Amino acid sequence: MSHAAAAPVAGSPGAARAWGWVAHLRDGGTTPWSAWTGEAPATGRVLPGAQQLELLRRLNLAGGVAPDVAQRVLTAAAPGRGKPDLALVGVPGSGYGPRPVDPATLPADELVRVATSVLAEDVVRLGPARAARGLPRPWGQHHRVAGDPVLAVAAREALGPRRLGRGPMVVVGAPLDQMLADVWTRRCFERGSFGWPEWLRFWQQRGQLPPRIDLPAVAERHAGSPGGVRVVLDPTALPHALGVRRVPAPRRPGADAAELARRIATVVGVLVPTDERAALMSQALWPRIPRTTMPQVSVPDEHREWVTRAAERMTGRLQRAGYPVVGDPAAVAPVLTGETPAPERPDAAVLELAVRMLVDDDWTKETR
Amino acid sequence: MTTTPTPSSGTDAPRRRVLVHVGTPKTGTSYLQDVLFRNREALRGHGILYPADRFDGHFLAALDLMRLTWGGLETEAVGAWDRLAEQVRAWPGTSIISHEILSTASPMQIDRAMTSFGEGAEVHLVLSVRDLVRQVPAEWQENVKHRSLVSYAHFLEMIRDPDRDTRIGSWFWGAQEIPDILDRWGALLPPEQVHVVTVPRPGAAPDELWRRFSRTFGLDGLDLDLTPERANPSLGVPETALLRLVNKRVTPVVDPPDYRPLVRELLAHQTLSRRTSSARLGLPPATHAWVQDLSRSWITEVEQRGYDVVGDLADLLGAPSETFVDPDTAPADELLPAALDAITALLVEGSRLRESEANLVRELEEARHELHLARRSPAERTVQALEARPSGRRAMGVYRRVRGRQH
Repeated sequence: MSHAAAAPVAGSPGAARAWGWVAHLRDGGTTPWSAWTGEAPATGRVLPGAQQLELLRRLNLAGGVAPDVAQRVLTAAAPGRGKPDLALVGVPGSGYGPRPVDPATLPADELVRVATSVLAEDVVRLGPARAARGLPRPWGQHHRVAGDPVLAVAAREALGPRRLGRGPMVVVGAPLDQMLADVWTRRCFERGSFGWPEWLRFWQQRGQLPPRIDLPAVAERHAGSPGGVRVVLDPTALPHALGVRRVPAPRRPGADAAELARRIATVVGVLVPTDERAALMSQALWPRIPRTTMPQVSVPDEHREWVTRAAERMTGRLQRAGYPVVGDPAAVAPVLTGETPAPERPDAAVLELAVRMLVDDDWTKETR
Repeated sequence: MTTTPTPSSGTDAPRRRVLVHVGTPKTGTSYLQDVLFRNREALRGHGILYPADRFDGHFLAALDLMRLTWGGLETEAVGAWDRLAEQVRAWPGTSIISHEILSTASPMQIDRAMTSFGEGAEVHLVLSVRDLVRQVPAEWQENVKHRSLVSYAHFLEMIRDPDRDTRIGSWFWGAQEIPDILDRWGALLPPEQVHVVTVPRPGAAPDELWRRFSRTFGLDGLDLDLTPERANPSLGVPETALLRLVNKRVTPVVDPPDYRPLVRELLAHQTLSRRTSSARLGLPPATHAWVQDLSRSWITEVEQRGYDVVGDLADLLGAPSETFVDPDTAPADELLPAALDAITALLVEGSRLRESEANLVRELEEARHELHLARRSPAERTVQALEARPSGRRAMGVYRRVRGRQH
């Protein structure tokens, strides 16, 4: 189980070449390791891993980063149980440890691991949003909102902090496949989650729906509360139900953005106490994550049957409900449009987005 | 053995020592950590710090250092390494840090750990090691106890893959490749500050491993409570095979926070591990030969490096090959007794939870009743107090007749 190279032998030509590459990358260089020949003395006790070095090279290819970001990348711990930090092929070592690699051949997933470590620190540094100022408007009609979490975010935004809370409960719904995609996407920006396929299988095998989008159960829970409850399935009726002129279009991050957020959430979970993670992710990252062209995740064909059956059951319960339902209860039937779905493992796009966020820190400065 | 790191005596100037024990897994680490934790106050009196306020404190610190997730436990680990290192820096004598998952730390994480101990600390690395003949099956069992569905044959394939491209292969060698762990953790230390403790071969005196640990950590002669309270018990072949089948059914529907207490603790540790008469898991003959060849090369390597070896490196060769019982083909009738034990344990636990639920419901009702009583108006209190006595009820009857009410 011994290999050609592992821990670098200090002072060897191979180690000097590796430190030369480190200096080159710190200076914004983009030469791949396989083409690098220059040497330099060691500038640290530990040579960064191939994953960290290759990520920095990709960042340089994309426009480069400030020296402090380069330093954070080079010293970043790749979180989770992936590969350990790998040695560079061609650097003599003791012969033990994982096989050294040509960093250019590393899979995108390995580079994303390092990137999420740095991005998670950025999210923690941004902190949760400050509480909105201003006095509540006693004369305005107040509402509470539940249901599809992506639609609920848009509805709360329409109400604003002054008219949110107390008052009647509005439960917003949509076709069930859309609601499933919305719940998973939103979870990625809260506590994190399993991957989309595993998460869907979990609910399929349990024979249940995520509590937030089990609309009849949500409505029944609030039926006796002051102001009553109303389920809104017709998006055109939502502004009226909330007493506002318009509700902004719901923002649905693509599968690549959600996957990156999911992985960042895991690291944020080891950096801040549990009860702070969801607030950080939903307030610091959700509104800021750059837009991508990839569509949102969608329910694959293999889940069509159980999702359709669950939607039919939900329609029946909504039809028998003793509370108002605005819109056709059959509107929860899955759409399953068959549009070009997002790839199941969008690793390359996730890496591209992570690189974009590390190179251009505009996303940390403004809320889009 | 060349040196032993002992706590500083009263006549010497205090010297800060940090003994970092990084595994490997399944080398008696749970027992050692339990003894250190339970005796931490006594150890302080002897100038030795074991900085932990809960048994798994160093596990959490390691998760934090390595940014590892562990079925949700990592959320309890925020800032744990920095807090641990702060205590180590402030302690003038010997500090001990011990957790086996540290064996998988990367050079960068190790550098951060070493730096966190502060200037002037004399760091000693302790690595406890056991032969691969026992480690390989033990590691597969650990995987099964952590929700894995992987068959033994596939597990062996993955660890024999020289590319280590799978998570299992990568993690296994990260935690078990002794020369590599010593490379990573010992790179900045002189060999006399690196202590390799071998786990004795089967059949050795029961306390031999503790004697080796005690000598290495400078605990000889201290009055410590050595009662074993925690262990990470192993399972037999049918029990592990059963658990893997259970995993296939439950992992899609039982979340990790529920899996840990119900499957890993209740079924594996508290129930199935008690079945000690079943066949023990070993290695298939071809794997056994491969593992012993590898171990010989490691022994030669470690001997050449001049570390302080506590025990005998020959312990790493492991026992000769024995009859192999394949867990992947365990017949149903061999699984049945273990399955009945598992059902019994779950029913007993279900009964306990029902009783607990009933108690909670009763307490909730009582609390609601108290709340109701506290919220009564003065008139309600008066009426209810009168209704509680015969004379009061008569008085209320007169009052109601006067008011023309029936009730």
